[in-house]
Amino acid sequence: MHHHIQLHELILAIVIVLILVLLLIITVLAYSFYSYRILHNRQSWRQIIEYKIMETIVGSDDSDDRDREFAEHLKEPSFRALFLDVLVDSDRKFSGGAKQSINRLFHDFKLEDEAWRKLRHRRAYLVAGGVQELAAMNVEQAIPEITDKLNDPRTAVYQEAQYAIVTFKGYEGLGFLEHFDRPLSDWQQLRLLYSIHDIPESSDLHVDTWIKSTNDTVVVFTLRLIRKFRLMTFYTEVFHLLNHSSTKVRVQAIRTLQAIENSTTIQQFMSIFGQQPIEVQNEILKAMKVAKSRECERFLKDQLWNHTAVSIKISAAEVLVVLGEEQYLRDISQNEDTYDELIQIIKHALQEKKC
Amino acid sequence: MLILIAEDDELILRTVEHKLVKEGHDVVLTRNGREAIEKINELDLDLVVTDIMMPFASGIEILSAIKSIGKKIPVIVLSSMGQEEVVVDAFDLGASDFMVKPFSPNELILRIKRLTNK
Repeated sequence: MHHHIQLHELILAIVIVLILVLLLIITVLAYSFYSYRILHNRQSWRQIIEYKIMETIVGSDDSDDRDREFAEHLKEPSFRALFLDVLVDSDRKFSGGAKQSINRLFHDFKLEDEAWRKLRHRRAYLVAGGVQELAAMNVEQAIPEITDKLNDPRTAVYQEAQYAIVTFKGYEGLGFLEHFDRPLSDWQQLRLLYSIHDIPESSDLHVDTWIKSTNDTVVVFTLRLIRKFRLMTFYTEVFHLLNHSSTKVRVQAIRTLQAIENSTTIQQFMSIFGQQPIEVQNEILKAMKVAKSRECERFLKDQLWNHTAVSIKISAAEVLVVLGEEQYLRDISQNEDTYDELIQIIKHALQEKKC
Repeated sequence: MLILIAEDDELILRTVEHKLVKEGHDVVLTRNGREAIEKINELDLDLVVTDIMMPFASGIEILSAIKSIGKKIPVIVLSSMGQEEVVVDAFDLGASDFMVKPFSPNELILRIKRLTNK
């Protein structure tokens, strides 16, 4: 049985659809307006906050009106959250008295409570934010709780905790490395390295335990640390890493040996060259290019003629150019017996020199 | 003394400006490298404080511009950690001094005083 749609039913359906479309448009407009207000507020609030920070650093005369306006804004939770964000951000820009002024603002406006609340929150990004804020504002009472976060399973949390502890304690904060079994990202390694300004002589922490870690990223970090502080006494331990199972560790070991080199380094590089993978061999040639040592001249010529990998031949030719062997390279490139590939490699190396 | 500050971070720009004004200097503010180069060409500056990384033209390009027009203006470069190689380039191009961020505005004022013997 067919049911014919009546005209009034059709009109009713169209009206309902139109009402729904209208409601959708109103919702989108309302949401857009709300987003715009938030964005606009954040921009103007940021200016107010930055002015307050600048005023505090410079020590300008206080304006009562502006202070009242600022106090009024502080009642708004999202303003306080932004204030905290901007303070932490500013802390990375200034040092000395200016940094102390920023810290004073943090305490004067009791933003510590917000940071503590974040630290004890369930959400990882908020906990990480709390850790960052308490460390940036140098709240030493937070050290025990932040130390507990070093074992947190969430990456954002334990990474921020590591950075915070190193910010508080410097080199002594690296104690977590001894039992750390997760990857230490390159970015994290650089952050930690930049936060360490010296190694105290009386320290109980031992670089030689980290260098033997089963965590490759901890070994790589330790090598970077040795390089940064030119820890010459670890030369032998670093040299032994050229037998490490990870190529990445071996490459870092070459860079570290180059940084703490002694009179035997180049000779040692030549003796172990044949047992290394291509990546490590290339790193050795880069080190030779920097060292500009004439004792590797024959070795380089040998690699140029006999090595099977083109990348090694190119690197060897480039180091020979740096050693002033351009004439030797020109002579062999003009020799009729020289094969085409080698001629191209040499031309490339000589061209690089011109560039 | 007329000092140009080239810095894209508003807080740093304003803080250094207020410090310098307090010290009795006249200050020109620019928020990108291209604007800074224009001001260097137009004005008779006594000193430039410039960030390394900026929109449109870097601190290195500002130093090259100063060198190419033959003006002898002392330049203090503000760099971030990890920009050591760029700082070496900056000195090759005639930078007088550099400071690494985070930096102390008070120390910057001292260095300006030292450079200008004021």
